[in-house]
Amino acid sequence: MHPINSNKKNTLSWLWLMALTVISTFIGLVINNKALFIVSVLFIVFLKGQQIIDIFMELSQAPKFWRRLLLGYVTLLPIIIGFIYIL
Amino acid sequence: MNRASELTLVGISNGQMLEKRLPGDLAMWFFILAELTVFAILFIGFAVSEQLNSVMFIEGKAKLHQISGLINTLTLITSSFFVALALNAMHKGEGKKSAKLLVIAKLIACVYIAVKIWEYMSLFDQNIDIETNTFFTLYFMITFFHLMHVLLGMVILIFITAKAAKNEYNASNISGFESGASYWHMVDMLWIILFPLIYVI
Repeated sequence: MHPINSNKKNTLSWLWLMALTVISTFIGLVINNKALFIVSVLFIVFLKGQQIIDIFMELSQAPKFWRRLLLGYVTLLPIIIGFIYIL
Repeated sequence: MNRASELTLVGISNGQMLEKRLPGDLAMWFFILAELTVFAILFIGFAVSEQLNSVMFIEGKAKLHQISGLINTLTLITSSFFVALALNAMHKGEGKKSAKLLVIAKLIACVYIAVKIWEYMSLFDQNIDIETNTFFTLYFMITFFHLMHVLLGMVILIFITAKAAKNEYNASNISGFESGASYWHMVDMLWIILFPLIYVI
């Protein structure tokens, strides 16, 4: 295993994050259902958080405990926020 | 001898290539966890307040400049990307290149600060401030608190840049760089949650 992310991997992750940001900003224009809109936006938050944790923070190469802790944050927090908004 | 063992990478021995390691200092990661917890409370508090005052929050969000929020998200992501590139360069022992990439990251972060100040000023021009209502109290509190973290992150990056430019990081001393980079990525990650919560939903 090589602990260093290549610049190519970082670049692809950056482009993916930029695309997801633009999609989440304007997704409300194509999704009229409020609950589906909120779930979509919060799912994108998870996808973006996962990229930052695994690629930029390099936690995909860290001990599982720390990776799971951070991934848990970007998973649980959007779920809690989603429940507050939808229920 | 395989290719991996031929490479000389700053901060990473051949043994470490085979084992999982946490980048940076453990103390920094506990600090990051504490910061994430504080922001989680603020984000949940914001969402609960929105459910309790939905009309006020809809009207408040309508007065925000969504495109400036989008620009700030793109700038922080891009800044984080350059910090990741800088760490890669430092791992390869390219201190000067790493320092240059960090300077670019900081310049991009300056765009975030400029846009945030412009956004605050445009709200002040509309006679909107932290005391206007619950929405703007939370808006100013959360975004200003985040702005303070961006400024702290920039101070950390300035120290890292100075050390990287002098090639002061080496195999036994790169965790400071990794800690600073991780903090910067945390600031980016927090905005990624903050942006949809305040500007999009």
